[in-house]
Amino acid sequence: MPFKRSQSRNNVPVVEMTPMIDIVFLLIIFFMVAAQFAQQAKVELSLPSEFGEQKVTEQASMLIINITLNGELILDESKGVITRNELNAQLESLGQDGILWEDVTIRADRNASTEALNDVLSLLSKHGLKATKIATEIP
Amino acid sequence: MNFSPTGRAKKSSHAALNLSSMIDVTFLLLIYFIITTVIATPEDALIPALKAEKSSTTSQDNFEPQIIHVDTVNSVPVYQLGDRSFSTREQLAIVLEKLPKEPGVIFRVGNNLSVGFAIAAIQEARNAGFEKVTYVPKLP
Repeated sequence: MPFKRSQSRNNVPVVEMTPMIDIVFLLIIFFMVAAQFAQQAKVELSLPSEFGEQKVTEQASMLIINITLNGELILDESKGVITRNELNAQLESLGQDGILWEDVTIRADRNASTEALNDVLSLLSKHGLKATKIATEIP
Repeated sequence: MNFSPTGRAKKSSHAALNLSSMIDVTFLLLIYFIITTVIATPEDALIPALKAEKSSTTSQDNFEPQIIHVDTVNSVPVYQLGDRSFSTREQLAIVLEKLPKEPGVIFRVGNNLSVGFAIAAIQEARNAGFEKVTYVPKLP
């Protein structure tokens, strides 16, 4: 009587790792690509919560003037607070390169005093800028 | 001579790639990106025209833009158009809707207000359909 030799295999459950690795890599690529990495470090401010002009133009600004809650002026977070005279000098040097109003953006904290904003805008007006971009946070 | 049977299959040698370390690194990378990624708040901008404050007042005829003063009255921030004052942006919005749009509107903004209050006025002017919106900072 031919008996089949019992094939006592140890059936070890195998977890297929390949699809999981694919998903994990896709997730990594998603977080790398979909997240908006700021080109330059943005100063943490509570911008006015407004919809803005809602225009499509995404022209990067050459100069971003941040006005903090205390009325301090910051151009670059790594360089810290600057004075009005330093901002004036910066605008003069940009003026020699032919600065346009599109090149300047003001990011002012919504609870900051308009005194600082008015000061900066007066300075911009003095340098011949006919308009300005005031950043808002889309609600 | 002990020959191995011909029917017996040769053991094929596969190079085994141990993926467990790679999975560990991948998960670490994933956790790193999840933690460090800062989803930037979408920003937009308002683009008012700029004008320096002049000492001479403009005449209030039909072809001149309306001038709205954004200032404080008894420490209360208000929007003033002529002799009328509005403390909320909703009231300002109602008034702006009724104004003629073509001449535009000028906001003369004082120094003792919050930026949010002043910017709200510009936004309401845009919402009302004004294309010419001018921001005039008041000198101290």
